[in-house]
Amino acid sequence: MSSPVLSIRDLTVKVPIDGETRTLIDAVSFDLAKGEILGLVGESGSGKSMICRALVKLLPSPAIAITGGSVLLEGKDLATLGEDAMREVRGAKIGMIFQNPTSHLDPVMRIGDQIAEGIRYHQGFGHEQARAAAVEILGQVGFPDPERQYDNYPHEFSGGMRQRAMIAVALSCNPKILIADEPTTALDVTIQAQILRLLMDLRDRRGLSIILITHDLGIVAQTCDSIVVLRNGQLLEHGPKRRVLAEPRHAYTVSLLKSHPSMPDEGGAVEVEQIAQQTRLQPLLEIDDLVVRFPTPRLGLFSGRKKQIAAVNGVSLRVMPGETIGIVGESGSGKSTLARAILGLTPLSSGHITFGGSDLAQQPRQTLAKLRTEAAMVFQDPYNALNPRLTIGDMLAEVLKVQGNTPPDGIPERIGELLDLVELDRAFMTRRPRSMSGGQCQRAGIARALAVNPKLIIADECVAALDVTIQAQIIDLFRDLKTRMNLTLLFIAHDLAIVRNLCDRVVVMYRGEIVEEGRCDAVFANPRHAYTAALISAIPDIDPDKPLPKGDLPPRNEPKGAPVLRGQPLISMQ
Amino acid sequence: MHRYRFVLFRPLQFLPVLFGISIITFILVRLIPGDPARVLLGARSTPTAIARIRAQYGLDEPLWLQYFYFLENLGKGEMGKSILYKIDVLKLIATRIEPTLTLVLTSVLLSILIAVPMSALAARNNGRLADHAVRIVSTLGIGFPPFWLALMLIILFSVRLGVFPVSGYGETIGDKLAHLVLPSLTIALSLSAVLTRSLRAAMIVVLKSDLATAARARGMPESLVFWRHVLPNSLVPTVNLLAVNIGWLIGGTVVVETVFAIPGMGQLLVRAIFSRDYMVVQGVAMVFACATVLVNFLADIVTVSLDPRVRL
Repeated sequence: MSSPVLSIRDLTVKVPIDGETRTLIDAVSFDLAKGEILGLVGESGSGKSMICRALVKLLPSPAIAITGGSVLLEGKDLATLGEDAMREVRGAKIGMIFQNPTSHLDPVMRIGDQIAEGIRYHQGFGHEQARAAAVEILGQVGFPDPERQYDNYPHEFSGGMRQRAMIAVALSCNPKILIADEPTTALDVTIQAQILRLLMDLRDRRGLSIILITHDLGIVAQTCDSIVVLRNGQLLEHGPKRRVLAEPRHAYTVSLLKSHPSMPDEGGAVEVEQIAQQTRLQPLLEIDDLVVRFPTPRLGLFSGRKKQIAAVNGVSLRVMPGETIGIVGESGSGKSTLARAILGLTPLSSGHITFGGSDLAQQPRQTLAKLRTEAAMVFQDPYNALNPRLTIGDMLAEVLKVQGNTPPDGIPERIGELLDLVELDRAFMTRRPRSMSGGQCQRAGIARALAVNPKLIIADECVAALDVTIQAQIIDLFRDLKTRMNLTLLFIAHDLAIVRNLCDRVVVMYRGEIVEEGRCDAVFANPRHAYTAALISAIPDIDPDKPLPKGDLPPRNEPKGAPVLRGQPLISMQ
Repeated sequence: MHRYRFVLFRPLQFLPVLFGISIITFILVRLIPGDPARVLLGARSTPTAIARIRAQYGLDEPLWLQYFYFLENLGKGEMGKSILYKIDVLKLIATRIEPTLTLVLTSVLLSILIAVPMSALAARNNGRLADHAVRIVSTLGIGFPPFWLALMLIILFSVRLGVFPVSGYGETIGDKLAHLVLPSLTIALSLSAVLTRSLRAAMIVVLKSDLATAARARGMPESLVFWRHVLPNSLVPTVNLLAVNIGWLIGGTVVVETVFAIPGMGQLLVRAIFSRDYMVVQGVAMVFACATVLVNFLADIVTVSLDPRVRL
């Protein structure tokens, strides 16, 4: 390739903490060629976001500083450039898009104005000219009606469209380089595929160079030309994509590749025979024609009565003791509402939930008491689900005391056992969540769920917030626990690969309904519903020769057999 | 613009609220110990004279009938006659409402003009000298009692410097405003302190937020990031705080009106309470209540216009 657009040499970023200096980025060097998509891969804390922040000198705290190295862009060294000169670089030379478009877009400013703002400032356009340019860009990133949508606010769009808007903002001043920091992590798989496709398309049309930060090797395999692997601020490996994926040179890259959930897994084979035997037993949980409706806010001036939206619409499901069921679907498909309904955390509109033989609607008090002692939930965000003021020991003791099954003098020993179960050192008893990593917190959350000695555990996206290697560990832990304790597990996830590795049966939800249900291997090998097939094909495979689906993805609004919900408040793309 | 639909329908909710307010003020006023007729006639009045006055003002009727007359009069645009001033309460209030209203308005404007730059200065220099200075000033502003501030301002500006009048209220607009500078400043010094604390805190959060980072990442200079993104995203909590404070202010101008001898509602209310002038107390309380309801309504409109996500 020709001479690099951006050349990073020995970039070093340090921060002084408590008198000593910690190195966040340790002499990292790499080049970015014109039209290249470079994947920055690493776990949280590896410094991949920090590098990109350093490139545009928007470091999260004034204490963090570039202490050495150079960043060459068009012959200028950004590392030594002053703040005024940097403003000319940001937006105009290097555009940035972020993981969470919802928090990075200004909620009280019209989408179009946020795009036009940069154009007016950097290119000195007038109001009308800037508006025309912004409308043009909105069209390019896939807004179907840019002229009208210019005046919409961010909250009026779906997550995918917000990310498109964010990309439009980044492109507004014709940058040469685009830095994309986990741009699809917060999105559903089918939307993720659309956004990745858009990025590649923009690269082709505009000759953009893109630095793509991600933890998902599947995305790298599908979109990038070269890969940089980082750990603890150090560059471990840098090379063309195929070489790194096929013959990783560093041991850490090997372990990253191994943890990727789309890799075939020998350990998690499903004992089909065992399940067949269990069907003679009574189901532990039986859901019959469950409907959960929520009122939607009134919209138009004359729309009169409040409309209701059915988050769960006629779902029936039988769960046998000891079974592991994966519930998959995109955001808004009703997975979490179903979980909350099962635990009696949200009122049922109609239908029945029977847990261990008692009906939640008919004997609410009795069934709730049963649920509270025999079912438990593990949450998505391990930090927010734990009380920051309590030590892990106090938190578990609280559950055990309320439960009342453990004699008071037996509680410390029981806490120790629980920590052993989730493979946390007993020393964690005295730690608080803020001094623990995400994976350790999630283990504590699982220990809390196990404290009630449950028959049923509902795990709601419990690994979505974790790094891949940690994800793999938590999945192993679940697999181990379910065989050891004969747990029944409802595993809610949007990541199909994880469900495929862990679960016996899979239930695919779409807009509040079950569109497909069956044994995991059967469903994944031979999906019968178009939506399931679309979900599966949208997973970025780690094999670069299995590309993302080329053509248009199946329409979001009207898949076969699924009725369109009225009163949908979001403007979606098609 | 269906976001503003509530502007049409919200006023319908005012009717039951105002009805409730009228009942409560009606009863509360009559719980004040003492007899207006006795106050009016003085200490050496005869029982017959008192009875005659009571009959004249309908005070001998049963309570529910008095309330009925009150509503009937209200329908005719009257609020009963003041015992002390011998004219209809509504007309009486009309002569007194203007100074108070102007005072509240100038105080609020002045508070905003002080609070926004102070908060901006503090938030943008968070943790530095300017921030500490603003925090000290706003703590003092909350801490000092208004009557003391008022006296200090009079001593400094009126007595020493002779810039503004000591007390009273003028005839022409310019004259009136000159008389209102010190009273408004007295109120604004404490009100702006309250607003600054809230606004500064909100601005600090938004300055560190993702949306500000994103604006910087597209090359916006810090001043544009601040005034175009940070300020609009920090205002909502303070707008509601201001509304609560205006509601309190409308009934709370008494001290300032007394110190500066402004012939406003506060003074009227105090005199009416001392002379058991039921009708006036009732009328003034009703006006205060209506004003509070109205201010909150306005605050809702401002909130919706500031944040398109809010639906009411």
